[in-house]
Formats: sequence, structure tokens, C-alpha cells
Amino acid sequence: MTEIQGEIQRVCETLGVVAERLEQARPFAKYRHQKPVLEVVTRMLAMPGGLDAVYQAAPGLDAAGLFHGSDWDHPDILLPQIVGRTLESDDRMIVGLEAASLLRLLAIASGRATHPNIHADHARHFLTQVLALNLRSFFAANSEADRASAGDGHLRARLLRFIADHIGLRDVLGVLVAEIWRILEQRPIQIGPVKEMITEIAIALNRQGSEPGSERLGAERLVNALFGPTTGCLDDPGIEAYLERLTHMDDAGLLREATGFARAMHDTGLVSDYHAGFLRFAAEHQDALLVPEALGLGQTGQDCWRHYRELVLELIEMAVTVETPQSVHGLALLLERGVLHYLPIAPALSGQMRLRLHDAVRERLRLAYGGTITPEARLLAGVLDVLGQPLGVGQGANPTCQSARAIAVWGLNDPDFLLHLIAQAGEFDTILMHFEGQPINSADLPAGLAAGAPIDADPVSVLLVPHLDRVYAEMGRLCAPRGGDPHRWINPEFHGWWVARECLVAVDVATGNLADFDGFITRFYESYHPRFNGARPVIHPQPAGVAVTDANARFVGWHAIAILRAATDQTGQMRVYFYNPNNDSGQDWGGGVTVSTSGNGERHGEASLPFEQFASRLYLFHDDPVPPRQDITAVPEHLIAEVATMARQSWAAERGSQPVTLVGAS
Amino acid sequence: MPNVNSEKGYVALLGWSLNAIDAVDRFDRKYVVVAPGWAEDYCTKNDIPFIAWDFDRLNERSHELAQNLKDEGVDVAIPLFEETVEWAGAVNAVLLNNPRLLGQAMLFRDKSLMKRRAQLGGIRVGVFEEAHDRGDVIRFLKRVNQTLLKLDGDPNDPIHFKAFDKSGTAGHRVVRTPEDVDNIPDEEFPALLESHLDGWEFAVEAWIKDRKIQFMNISEYVTLGYSVFVPATPELEQHRERITAEIEKLIEAFDIDFGFIHPEYFLTKDNNLYFGEVAYRPPGFNALELIERAYGFNGYQGMVLAFDPKATQEELDAFFPTPVKDAKGHAGCFGVYPRRRVVSELKVPDETANDPYFEYHELAEPLEQKVTKRTAFGTHWGLAYFFGEDPHRLRDLLKAQEELDFYL
Repeated sequence: MTEIQGEIQRVCETLGVVAERLEQARPFAKYRHQKPVLEVVTRMLAMPGGLDAVYQAAPGLDAAGLFHGSDWDHPDILLPQIVGRTLESDDRMIVGLEAASLLRLLAIASGRATHPNIHADHARHFLTQVLALNLRSFFAANSEADRASAGDGHLRARLLRFIADHIGLRDVLGVLVAEIWRILEQRPIQIGPVKEMITEIAIALNRQGSEPGSERLGAERLVNALFGPTTGCLDDPGIEAYLERLTHMDDAGLLREATGFARAMHDTGLVSDYHAGFLRFAAEHQDALLVPEALGLGQTGQDCWRHYRELVLELIEMAVTVETPQSVHGLALLLERGVLHYLPIAPALSGQMRLRLHDAVRERLRLAYGGTITPEARLLAGVLDVLGQPLGVGQGANPTCQSARAIAVWGLNDPDFLLHLIAQAGEFDTILMHFEGQPINSADLPAGLAAGAPIDADPVSVLLVPHLDRVYAEMGRLCAPRGGDPHRWINPEFHGWWVARECLVAVDVATGNLADFDGFITRFYESYHPRFNGARPVIHPQPAGVAVTDANARFVGWHAIAILRAATDQTGQMRVYFYNPNNDSGQDWGGGVTVSTSGNGERHGEASLPFEQFASRLYLFHDDPVPPRQDITAVPEHLIAEVATMARQSWAAERGSQPVTLVGAS
Repeated sequence: MPNVNSEKGYVALLGWSLNAIDAVDRFDRKYVVVAPGWAEDYCTKNDIPFIAWDFDRLNERSHELAQNLKDEGVDVAIPLFEETVEWAGAVNAVLLNNPRLLGQAMLFRDKSLMKRRAQLGGIRVGVFEEAHDRGDVIRFLKRVNQTLLKLDGDPNDPIHFKAFDKSGTAGHRVVRTPEDVDNIPDEEFPALLESHLDGWEFAVEAWIKDRKIQFMNISEYVTLGYSVFVPATPELEQHRERITAEIEKLIEAFDIDFGFIHPEYFLTKDNNLYFGEVAYRPPGFNALELIERAYGFNGYQGMVLAFDPKATQEELDAFFPTPVKDAKGHAGCFGVYPRRRVVSELKVPDETANDPYFEYHELAEPLEQKVTKRTAFGTHWGLAYFFGEDPHRLRDLLKAQEELDFYL
């Protein structure tokens, strides 16, 4: 034992030597001395007692400049989702860097150290998220496989357990569950990451058998929704065994199953594989009662089901599989929205089912989702999702907020046009749009903002985004010689007639400086705030641009959103409800501006902010060109001043250098 | 440069070395980096004083650089690389109003002239000759071996081939057979040929001011091109007095008033010291880093003192420690070459990783699986650093590394 201590003691001294060199080096020469430090750290991590030694040293290493020049120097912007993969990297230096960073954050979280860029609570929250996202890997460390393959995987498990020992695991489960509920409240179409996290929880609960508590209850609710939502499948018997069970159930039993599934689905937005299996079973047996029951339909939905029963059964037959369980949710919401009563939709969906996809499209869909079901079925399931929950469209990790927003608002507002585009792109791998009368054919254009076609999004996005992105870029190119902000012309042409024709921009494009900012804010209040605009509601979703800021209220980038409505929440506060194509709308924009996604009157998929906070981050919106109206109430100057101050304390702080470029994503 | 003392000199660093810039930026004197234009953005971004200069060819523009530096108020130029030694000579000739310095720099840059000058100064050198083509090399190889009374078929004694103007082990080849000669590329001519001296090879780093040695370190080679450590073993250090006398001869022969020299010597079995070559710039193989690890002073900062005409003897005395006695231990490094033809992974051998003298390494991950065959002494894939109390243990440890695989 003393020998081990002596060993780590010796390496600690070596660390002191290289760390001192790092500390003394000027900022421009730091990187030269980072590698030796990391090399020693990496060796220490593998030694008994090494984690604790690095934990002790980490704040000093941070201060000496170990993270200088890398993303890790800004712990406030690090993403917990990436940590697990980084710790698995083949590059030992990267592993050492991530480990040292986590241990430094642990020191900050436990109050042993401070950091100018991150607060103890934030550090703690970050580590909790990291643990939550990697639950599996550190419980699994006891498995045979892990014991056999010691090495870095072993380090990751030891490191995570070391952190868990210091900050407690109960917290982790709570954070994870809260995080999942927060995301599910937004009803995203892409729920792969959520399912992954729930699977982690299921494994953790199973292994650890954690102490009872509210965290455990919340966790079990999620796990059950996915793996055993009804009495018939509570024991997670496997899909084959479950379908076998169904054949022996009586009518009452089947009905109980149907309502159980529907309740779990509408409660969480998650659809269990068993649910998909059950719905197919019900559809095949032509049971008039079970299908609407299993979809959990209300009055409108029931009505659509009665009118379009054949079509719905056909949709289930083709799109609902255990590969695509979420299509059940999409279908239920589609029926509930009543869009089938809109004349072109039913024939368009019929046509969709008869569509033979272009080879290139099939390839792309296969690349994104694998090939166990046909690309046609995959796309149809995606169509049901987008029509059922248009605000669930997310851009994935692609700079294509414009295209994602377009798909979402068409799904909401112009579903037959969306189906028209899907059919065009599906059959011919191109779309034809017009810009001021000039035809634009996407197949003739080079790639747009997204270098490659995105494959980490929903099927409709996988199909359409490469085309939309190119068309959008081409419209930008056509506008370039005109000067000013191109969205003035692009937005109406790109989205549709319902985009208001006038466009207000807070920034002078040529200089990047604010331009008549007070006038801009006043006009926004006069156009959108019901107390000042004569109580006129937003009729169609309106594209708008926000200056996204980080948690420190620093400017991050321009981002495309859509304003859906302005209304009071349950406390009487006026809020703007909007759609953000970003995958998770709940963001901290700094300066007290935290985007809410539930609990303040939001419908699923909506984000919201108090009106003045929203206005403080807005830089572009559309409005109808109207002569001075009588019904406008004057906007008090102090309101305008308040909003302008919030903007100047955040994104507009240094307006004077950055030129406005095309809105990309953040 | 927060601590700049305007009473002291203003130095120009010729060539781009981040280690040197970092050290001098932390020191107490005004400085400017003179380097190619590609460094400009970096310097602007990092507030490093910078003058762009293309060192490719010494021509009539050298006077322009000297004049620029003079106008700027620079007192002296310090060469960081072999290629900037003659530039420093040319510039300092103007700045210090001493035309002799340019000629001196030319001697340092030409290995053949250097050897003749040393010989004229009464310094013992091995047999050497200049080679302009492969025929010259073959002739020298034959003559040396005839002199040694070798018969046809006896294995040849090797000769050493060094490209005239390359530094350190770059361009240094050991030639034993006519086939070795065929493998020398054209661009390495002209070159210096030397007979092989069996003995103990070592290097010296000496900081000189007012023709006086201010600090002298002896770096002991374990195996040339592989490993070195400082301070040397007591067995080598016992010759310190003789070595000091040799350095003083160099100072006389080359007329060195100030600066930093890095000569190499052989101590043969018959106890004679042979001069190999000398460079007027920092040594390769991170010797200054080893010296800093052992003694705690920064060699680049020492160079600034040795070059700066405004530096005082008191300053120098306070800066440099007492050789050997003040060393905290012995610091060494080992240059790693892959031993296998195909490698895929870097793995420090357990014997090395677990050795208490092992500190850390800067080895590169293998980028290509196939290892190119070494021609000259070539470039190692990175260094491993060691530190410890016992010079003999350190020496044996460094030697033992040669038999280990760092790349698998």
C-alpha cells in the first residue's frame, strides 16, 4: 500500500514539474506544454489513487492553462451529450483532457475551486447530466465483458463512479427524469435520444434497485410507457409472445389494453412497440371499437375515423410497424386535428401510399434508417408524424433551421402543399419552386447551407431538406445584388402567400449596426401585441428572426423561428408563443431570458417568452403593409426603452462590427 | 513583456522558435522576433513584436535588415537556427560596429572552414576532407582504411559524412561500404568527410561574455542520435578542467567575444580530446530543456544575457548557477524510433512507464503504418524524458530504451 502511495506521490511530483512549466508559459506557448501535462495525467488516471490525485490537482491545472485554446476553456458551453463518446476516444490525450475537465468541474461543484466561466450549480448540473447520460456505462462496469477489456473503458466507469460518489446518484435519476419529461413535453418527432436515456434508466433501476422515492416513480412511469404500458405487456414479454397473448384475450381484456396504450401514449408522447403491434392486430381484425380506442381519439378524431375508416386502416397497414411505433402517435394526432376533412388531404395520402420512390431517395432513407422496412413505409410513417405533430419537426445537427421551419409551418398551415412537395421530391428527387415568377429546380442547384444531406432527422426532413436548402440558398443568391436583408423577399416566396409582405429588420445589413431600433420595437408591439394592435390575433404562423444569445447573454447567431400567437398565460402575462426548429426549444438566453416550453400555457411543441423578453431578442419580423390604423393604442415609451435596454445588454451590445449574413442555424 | 527594463538591451531573435519567444517574453528585456512573413498573423494575434524577414538567401539585403534593426533601436541579434547564424553575424557586424563578426559567422556555417580554423588554432581534430561528389567519398573511405592497414575483405572502419550546412544529426551519415556511398543523394553535397574516432562523444553548451565562459554544461551522449543527459557522469565531469581549456582555445581561435556555442568532442581511449564541430546557436534535442530541468535556469534567457552588450557581470553571476554542484539531479531524454517495419499503436513499454526516473514523453501517435527506412540519423518520432539522482542509473536506463518497442 505504501508502495502504491509512493508511486502516485512520485508521479504527482512530475506533474508538478510539467504543470509549473505550463503555468509559466505565455498564453501563445501554452499548447506546447499541455501535452506533457496530459501525458502525466493520463498515466496517473490509470494508477490506484490516481483519480483522487488528479481531482486534487485539477483546479491548479485548469488555472495553469491546461484547457487554454480549446473548448474546455469555456466549461459553460460544454455539452454533456458528448462527454461519454469523448471518454471512449482512441486518442488518450483527449480522454485525459476530458477526465481532467470533469474532475475540475467536480472540484468546482463541490466548492473546492471556483472558475470565472462557470458557477458551482452549473458545474453540478453538468456533471449530473453526464452521469445520467452514461448510467449504463458505469453500472455495466461490473459485467464480465468490462472486466475482460480493462483499459480506457474501465477508466470511464471508474471516473463516472468517482464523480457519482462525490455528488450522489439520487440526484442523477431525478435530473434525468426531469430532463426527459421536459423534452417529451415538446413532443419531438425524433425521440431516439429520449428512448436511449430511458433505456439507461431501465438498466440502472434493474441493476441498482434504487431506493424508493418520487424520482423512482417518475422514472418507472417513463420506463413503463416504453417497455410495458399495459397489464398485458407489463412484464415486457417480447412482441411475439405478446401478440400470442392477444389471441387469447376476451373483448374486455382487449379494450383494457387499448385504453392502457392510449393513456400511456398521450401521457408521455412515447409509443411502445407493443402498442404498434396491438394496433396492427386491431386493424387486421377489423374491430371497429379497438382502433379508435387504441388511438385514444376524442370527438374530432372519432369523427375522422368514421369518415375515413378505409384510408386509416390502409395507413396503419402500411406505416405502423414495430420499427415505426411513433407513427401511431402521429396518426392519432392527425385524426384529432381534423385535417382529413380538408378536401385534398385524403386523396393526397392515398397517392402517397401508391408512390414508388426514386432510387436516390430510397438510398437516402436507407442510409438514415437502415433497411428492415421499405423506404416507402418509413416515409409514410414520417408523413403521419409531421402532419400529426408539425411542431415536432427538428433540424437535427444541421444548419438548416430555415428548411425545418418551412416543413413545420406547412405541416401546420398548408398540409396539402407539404404533401405535394413530398410527392414531387419522393418521385423525382427534385422540387420545383418559383422566385418572383422565375422557376427554381432544386436538382439543378449545388448544395446549400448543409454540406451533405442530413440523415439525423425525421424522414420527411431527410427527404425534403436537401432540396429546400438548395432552393433557399439559390433565392439568397438571386437577392444578393439587391442589398439589405434578403429575407424580405425570400420569406414570402419560399413559404407562401400567407407571409406578411412587409419585413422589418432591426439591423442595418451593410454596417451591422442597429437601425431605428426604437421604431422597430414600436412596430412589433403595434403589429403583434393584442393590447396595442386592436386585439387582432396572429392568423398564420409568421417567420421571424431572433438573435440567439447564450446563458451569459452573449450573441451566438441568427436563428429562424415562427411566431405562432401572442396571448396571455394563466397568470395574465402576455407571452409570444413561437416555434423553434431547434430540437430542444428550452434554452437559457441569458439576462433572465429563459425560453419556456411548458407550464406557461404552451401547447406541445411551442416555446414561449414574455412579450417584452421575446421582443428583446427579435431582429426580424413580417407585417402587413397597412396605412395608419385607428385601432392602434400608443405603446408607452418606457416599454420600448425597457426592451431596447435588454437587447443592448445582450446581442446588441457590440453592434457595429458583425455584418448580417443569411440566417443559418445555431 | 510586462517586466521590461529600458536600461537593459533590446534583442532581436532571428528565426521562429516558440520556446525561445516564450522564454524571452517572460524575461526582462525588450525583444523583437525576426521571422518569415507566415508568422505575422500569429504574432499580431498574440502581441508578439515582429518584423517579417525572408532568410532564404543572404544577399545585399542583409544590410537592409541590419539597418532596420538599428533604426528600431535593437542592440544585438541572436540566431536561433543554423540558417540564421550568418544573418546574425551580418546584422551584429553593423549593430556592434564590428565587421569581424560576419567573417566569424561564415566560419560557423561551413564545417570545413571551421575545422581548418580549429586546426590552425592548435586544436586537435581528426582526419578530414571535403567531398564534392561520390568519388571523393569512396577515395576517402579507401585511404582511411589503407592507413589503418586493413587488407582487402577486412571490414572497413566507418567514416562520417556531414553535409556542409546542416545542423545536428540531419545530413550526418555513417559510411562503411561503397553501397552506402551510392545511397547519398546529390543534394547533400558538398560535404565534410571525417575519420571515425572510437571514443566517448559528448557536447558542450557554453554561454560566453567578454571572452569568458559564464556557464559551461557538459552533455553526455549515451548513444549519438538517441539519448543525452545533463550533467554528465563524474567520469566525464572529471575532465571538466581540460574541456574548459579546450573551450578557451575555441574562443581564441574563433575570436568569440560573446554569445553561445555548442561544440562536440571526442574523448578517445588514449585520453585525447578531439574537436568535432561547433555551432553558434541553441542545440537540438531539447538540451536547453534538460539543462532547465537540472539547473532551473532558462537557457534562452541565458543567451539574451550573453548576447546583450548592456548586460553586466553581476547580472550574469546572479543568473547562472554553479555547474554540477547546483544541479537538482540528472535530466535526460531518449529519441524514439519505431523498431518495427509496420506499426499501428503507440505504447510506452511497462519497464519505462513504471521506472521511477521516467517523467513523460512527447511521442507522436503513428499516422502511417509503414515506417520509412532511416537513411541518415534522421528524425525521431518524439522524445521521452527522464530525471533522477544517479547519473549511472540514468545512463543505463537510457541505453536500455534502445532495446524497447514504443511502437507496436
